[in-house]
Amino acid sequence: MFRKLYLAYGLFVLGTAGFAQFRGWSLDRINQLKNVPKSVRDNPGSYRSVYSGYHHYTGGK
Amino acid sequence: MNSGAPPLSGPPKPQAKALNCPACGTSITLRSFGQAETVVCGSCHSILDAKDPNLAILQKFEQATRDVRPLIPLGTRGKLRGTDYEVIGFQRRKTTVDEITFYWHEYLLFNPYKGFRYLSEYNGHWNDISICKQLPLVEGTFSAAPGSGANYLGEQYKHFQTCAASTDFVLGEFPWQVRVGESASVTDYVHPPRVLSSEELNKEVTWSIGEYLYGREIWEAFRLPDSPPEAQGVYENQPSPVGIDLKNLWLTFAGFAVFLVVLMVGFDVISKKEPVLHETYQLNRADTRGEVSFVTDVFELTGRTSNVKVKTYSPVNNHWIYVNYALINHDTGEAWDFGREVSYYQGYDSDGSWSEGKQNDEVVIPSVPAGHYYFRIEPEADPTLPGIPYTPYTVDVRRDVPVAGIYGIAFIILLVPPLIISLRSYSFERTRWEESDHPPTPILQPSSSEDDS
Repeated sequence: MFRKLYLAYGLFVLGTAGFAQFRGWSLDRINQLKNVPKSVRDNPGSYRSVYSGYHHYTGGK
Repeated sequence: MNSGAPPLSGPPKPQAKALNCPACGTSITLRSFGQAETVVCGSCHSILDAKDPNLAILQKFEQATRDVRPLIPLGTRGKLRGTDYEVIGFQRRKTTVDEITFYWHEYLLFNPYKGFRYLSEYNGHWNDISICKQLPLVEGTFSAAPGSGANYLGEQYKHFQTCAASTDFVLGEFPWQVRVGESASVTDYVHPPRVLSSEELNKEVTWSIGEYLYGREIWEAFRLPDSPPEAQGVYENQPSPVGIDLKNLWLTFAGFAVFLVVLMVGFDVISKKEPVLHETYQLNRADTRGEVSFVTDVFELTGRTSNVKVKTYSPVNNHWIYVNYALINHDTGEAWDFGREVSYYQGYDSDGSWSEGKQNDEVVIPSVPAGHYYFRIEPEADPTLPGIPYTPYTVDVRRDVPVAGIYGIAFIILLVPPLIISLRSYSFERTRWEESDHPPTPILQPSSSEDDS
């Protein structure tokens, strides 16, 4: 019984992995936005990334 | 006749014989119809010769054990595995290991047409026992040698333990000359849920085969009140609760792993990895007043909805560059916004040379539909850094790339069930064999210094 369950489980996992690759899923977190104004193309400075002002590591060892 | 008890099967209907104990006069009922060798008076605990018409007294034992009460009262009838049986005898046996005495109980069952069989009970663990129909083949040293075993009806049994077992309480009838204090050498071989036992007494060896039963099965068979005592610990032939063929399970996992590799290679082959953008830019760190953000030319992403990989490379050395990206759909205004840092530090200290970070970075944007796109790019770097004020960086964009992490996660998800089950099974088997003559090696060995102290 468990083996059948595991078979179904494994096939589901493999199917999901194949689907994920086919649909181009990614493990990276990307912020998605809607309706960015067309004016950005002419004036890139009018758009500010949500990641602007990110605190950078400046040390090293 | 007890109207509540199930009738014994098949004609003719034998009759129990009633006698009186010669020691105390108490009425004694013989239920095994002449097959008993001894019968025990339930009142004065005299062991009587059942073959003697006058019930000669063979032994009287201490009554200090009167508090021993069979969980299944003598005379109880029930249907065990399709056959009617009556409980006609009970004995408590014991063995002493490392100065600890272990007790277990044995019930003698009788059917006038099927004969005798036994039930044993230890700490809530039950076994249905019958005499072997043929002689098992013993392999290796007969006694407790590691690796020794026995073969019975083509099934391999592992040696579990050999001990001296003695009887310290008896009640009812027995088809042998039972005596309190009588000691026999008992050897158990296991192949869960079965146990193969040899019992050597006066150079006569009796082999029996037992099968593990759960208390509830006994209670249902004999229609006993309340519930059976809860099983304590793990018994020698108790079936593993995992109940799965681990070899098959791991073979299935191996099959999945191979399929996963095939999937990975297949997608690697069919992925287009189509170059979309490859440009090198310069960031002027000295220009702190002007707008550093800019947009790329519009490019087309073709094909099905798929991912987009953005690779950033910069030859930074003890320095960093941070690039804000926005992949913007020129037609719909939908955007994927993210920032990536490239930093690399290296040096030399008392521990030797060291380095930290990388001069390149990769990110995969998920599920981007086909369409016309452009990037808005806004680089940042430390404006106070001395030296050449320009930091070059290269942006490489590819469409439809394989993502190895997906297969890594799938592998781990596939691995979890067999791993958990194997650990459970290992733990159960370890507990089982801890009680044997061949206990597993302790995981943590005591140090010799502790032994010395």
